Amino acid sequence: MTGNDKSAVEVLGLTKVFGTGDTRVEAICGIDLKITEGEFVAVMGPSGSGKSTLLHLIGGLDEPTSGHIVVGGDDFSSLDDDALTMLRRRRIGFVFQAFNLITVLTAEENVALPLVLDGMDEAEAQRRARAALERTGLTDRGSHLPAELSGGEQQRVAVSRSLVNEPLLLLADEPTGNLDSATSDQIMSLLRRLVNDQGQTILMVTHNARHAAMADRIITLRDGRIVEQQSLKNGRSADQVLADLESAL
Amino acid sequence: MGIKQAILGLLADGPVHGYDLKAEFEDQLVPTTKLNFGQVYTTLDRMKRDGLVGQEVISQTERPDKKVYALTNAGRKELEEWLTGPTTLDLDLRNETFLKLMVARRVDWADPKRVLAVERRACLARLHEMTQARTKAERDSAPVQTMLLLELALLRLEAFAKWLERCEEVLSQEDAE
Repeated sequence: MTGNDKSAVEVLGLTKVFGTGDTRVEAICGIDLKITEGEFVAVMGPSGSGKSTLLHLIGGLDEPTSGHIVVGGDDFSSLDDDALTMLRRRRIGFVFQAFNLITVLTAEENVALPLVLDGMDEAEAQRRARAALERTGLTDRGSHLPAELSGGEQQRVAVSRSLVNEPLLLLADEPTGNLDSATSDQIMSLLRRLVNDQGQTILMVTHNARHAAMADRIITLRDGRIVEQQSLKNGRSADQVLADLESAL
Repeated sequence: MGIKQAILGLLADGPVHGYDLKAEFEDQLVPTTKLNFGQVYTTLDRMKRDGLVGQEVISQTERPDKKVYALTNAGRKELEEWLTGPTTLDLDLRNETFLKLMVARRVDWADPKRVLAVERRACLARLHEMTQARTKAERDSAPVQTMLLLELALLRLEAFAKWLERCEEVLSQEDAE
């Protein structure tokens, strides 16, 4: 682990059941998971394995049937609706496959929106929005409308928006699902840099092995259970890999 | 690797000294591969024997005369045919994982699913290393040759990961039947 071993997320005995009787589906069947601050974790698994459900539960977007979710020391089950909403707004950032930008607002206004909605002074919100855009390399795009930006740029605006609160945890659900492969690589490099350079904690759902492999750890779900966990640290260094390409040829 | 074809290409614009061929191969063609002089001169000797290159002596005033290699007409023709025709795609179907999977299906104490899981872990670990290497190469503004080779390695690993997933799906369906 880099830096410290403080946990950003702790999940214990998590279950989620949808429907009842004949339509009853156990989407999550008893998951335990700990994510350390500054760790980049990827969740893989076939469709219907519970990846997105897990992400939604940890993001407080959906309520578990049983079990505990603790983010930054706060146990969701001990919070009322208002407190959970506050925690979600202030400590968790979300990036989805769809960019979900508001078309009539500029990039900067989109990024500032969560702060403005949270009651922050507009000038301060703008200042922070500009700083968040800078973190994703979009300094000169702040005044553009989403339609004037490429897909990759729109997703970077969405990443900036998710970071504007300086969240403890960034949740990404197939963040490159709508992008071509070159642009996907750019978004993935951006996420990796956020972890390396700024110690951002990220939990990302993906079905793409190449993108999952950019994380520090891969968790594989099947039928709502963790069937495989793999730490990707302790591999060969980048220099070694580049040197070894020689012998591969 | 086709050292012969590389040499043909490096000689296309004019005669080059044997010593410089090594440097140009590494700087301009395949930066991740180091040739040794032995390989270069063995290949040049063979090419000379086959009539693809000739040797010329360039007299120099202040240093000893220099021996350079140049393309013959036959060499030029061979380069042209190679450059304009298709390369035989090596699909590498004599894949060891495939063999292991087939053996695991016959050996009663072995588990094909376990074979796939082990291979997947190894593949993801290598993908991780390769993406780290790409990130570093990008940051160091590595030459386009290095970036394209890394991309080839990444795509092959990605294809292998997808194939393992596919194997697992097929074996699961077989189990269900």
